[in-house]
Amino acid sequence: MEPIFTIILSDGSVFSGGTSYSETKWKEIPDKKIRTIFYKIPKGDVLVMTGYDKYFHMIEVLKDLNGDRAGIVNFEFAYLLGRKEDKINGYKMNFKTGNIEKIETNVEDNFIKGLNPNIWK
Amino acid sequence: MATTMDFLINYVDATVTHAITPADYIELDLINDYLIWTAGDAVVKDLMTHEPTADELNAAASIIDDVLDVEVALCLLMDYSHDVGGAYYTHKVIGMNENKRYVYCFSFDDATATIPRLEAWDTSAHATANKHVLGAGTPANSFVKAIMTTNALPRVGWVGTAIAGASNYVELDIAALVAAKDLYANLKIKIPAAYVTPAAETYVLTVRYTYA
Repeated sequence: MEPIFTIILSDGSVFSGGTSYSETKWKEIPDKKIRTIFYKIPKGDVLVMTGYDKYFHMIEVLKDLNGDRAGIVNFEFAYLLGRKEDKINGYKMNFKTGNIEKIETNVEDNFIKGLNPNIWK
Repeated sequence: MATTMDFLINYVDATVTHAITPADYIELDLINDYLIWTAGDAVVKDLMTHEPTADELNAAASIIDDVLDVEVALCLLMDYSHDVGGAYYTHKVIGMNENKRYVYCFSFDDATATIPRLEAWDTSAHATANKHVLGAGTPANSFVKAIMTTNALPRVGWVGTAIAGASNYVELDIAALVAAKDLYANLKIKIPAAYVTPAAETYVLTVRYTYA
């Protein structure tokens, strides 16, 4: 199984993420500046992000409380964002359709302000 | 590991938290357990000793009123394993539609990236919200009302948010979770007066959450 992302850190070391979207290992990234991220998108291609001050990653899921898929975690989207000064760029990847939506915003966006600040790396 | 969420209901005392008094809560086995919204009667009630049949549920259904809105009187947990407090299949959800805070509990075992939210959809495809109970295509008219009670009581006579589809949902806290936390909501179903289409409908309650 390939990691869902591979990261080159500022000292040249390489960190490999988890092999599934339910075990990304994002929180285990060493506390060093990220130089480049190679991210395997849900349909298999690879996104590359580099040159940002900080990076943010999250998986969005749905869990039904009843019905024919109750209790099953349904993967909806993966987000990968980069922040440089007050600008935010990134991608929202749809697990179902494979579509990738480009995100271009800034730190004052309510969506950005609502993100858990501890996840920025 | 990814953050996970368990769903529990309070069946004893809706003034106590899951953290302090876990014995007052039942965690739903989401594969087999389910919630029953009913007017209730002599058969369909708290502490049933069998799983209610479709006929029994129909007989205990809420009746649409010509003049007044009807709030469904009872929410029962149907506990398939019937292994709580004796051999009972049903347990009344305590505090539903009351000014109670610790009723429906969403227990997260780790941080989230955004605020978890409660949604309602027609089916597990999460694509439409057109059933009558969800407002027949007008989310604001959804019969299903929810209110976040993680941080405060809902207040007497709470109205809540009509939940349906992607646009009408309830956030279960005021910020993304920075650690494991129990979140709470209260729910009710309010059937408009003289609603023209009686129906026995199922809809899907869903929690949308995120993790790193």
